[in-house]
Amino acid sequence: MTLDIVFEPMALEPKTFNIGDKVRVTVSFKYVVGVNTTVKLLAGPYYTNIFGKHLVSPCVGQADIPLSAASTPAQGTGMVDFVLIAKSLGGIDNGTYGLRVWVEDTNAIAEQDNVLIVSGNTGGGDTFSAMLPMLMMIMVMGMIMPMTRQMAEGVDEE
Amino acid sequence: MPLKTLDLSLKAVRVLQDGSNPPEQGLLLPGWYVDPQTGQHIFYDPSSEKFYTLAGGVYIPLGYMTPAPKQVAVAPGDRLKVTISFKYTGPAITGVTGYYCLGVYGLFGFDEKLVQKTTFNISQVVSPPASPNVSDSFTFTIPADIGANWDDIYVKIFGGSPGIAGEVTTPYLFGYENALTIAGIQPNITEFKIADFARV
Repeated sequence: MTLDIVFEPMALEPKTFNIGDKVRVTVSFKYVVGVNTTVKLLAGPYYTNIFGKHLVSPCVGQADIPLSAASTPAQGTGMVDFVLIAKSLGGIDNGTYGLRVWVEDTNAIAEQDNVLIVSGNTGGGDTFSAMLPMLMMIMVMGMIMPMTRQMAEGVDEE
Repeated sequence: MPLKTLDLSLKAVRVLQDGSNPPEQGLLLPGWYVDPQTGQHIFYDPSSEKFYTLAGGVYIPLGYMTPAPKQVAVAPGDRLKVTISFKYTGPAITGVTGYYCLGVYGLFGFDEKLVQKTTFNISQVVSPPASPNVSDSFTFTIPADIGANWDDIYVKIFGGSPGIAGEVTTPYLFGYENALTIAGIQPNITEFKIADFARV
């Protein structure tokens, strides 16, 4: 099936969000479908670099949108929420991101660059994550050293 | 039967079948021909003065399909009524078969997807009518598994007593291309846009 998507200027104003915020996206569209069905609406932030656009997958939210059968174009709307998860938890870093919304298994997609301004990630969180592997190694060595010392003392007594 | 090559375009076939131009003498020989533009094999029957091509295992005349004057949107479960009418002058006929078909019309003919038949009678008419005086119809129920491209329709009539024509060779057939807009199982989404986004 071929789907014809018509883009219209969105002209969304950039907005500022903090880590942990829940963002609600509202979409509108027209549709035709022969039977009552449910489609999956997804939304999330993306960033752009020299390799293209990349979704911040941990922050993507999804919602089911019911569509009633309509043989002539009917107006549809949908809402989907997503949460801005902290960078320290594998989420999004501070910065400016685009917003992408799409319907699964169709080519219905809409996006706009530079509309999500994210802040609130603290430097302490990043330092802790960077030090975490070293701390883990010290803890493991702390457990191994007493064991090896006990084994060595046991050999000396014999 | 010898295979003949004819310098013929399908457009010329349409003119020939419309009866607007009398067939040339060279076209009256029965047999197989090859359309030089499409390479398609076609059969000419001088008794019906029509060219035939293969579709769904039967040979149906070329040039019987025309663009639909309107499109009807249908979805699974909808009922689609197809009505035919024509002018008739002649004796009464009983048991005429009306053959109604939805499907896909393409290069190789009409791929019949939904076929239904009706039987109707025609009364005796002694003088040519000014307007169509015979009509028949069939109502399809659109199935759930309808294909998105099952948008063509053709109808033919044949049989009866006394018989008007054979099922395969009947000249009384007509069809519309792209007559239907199919609303299938998969949604067709347009004008998709972000209306708003905000913190909640």
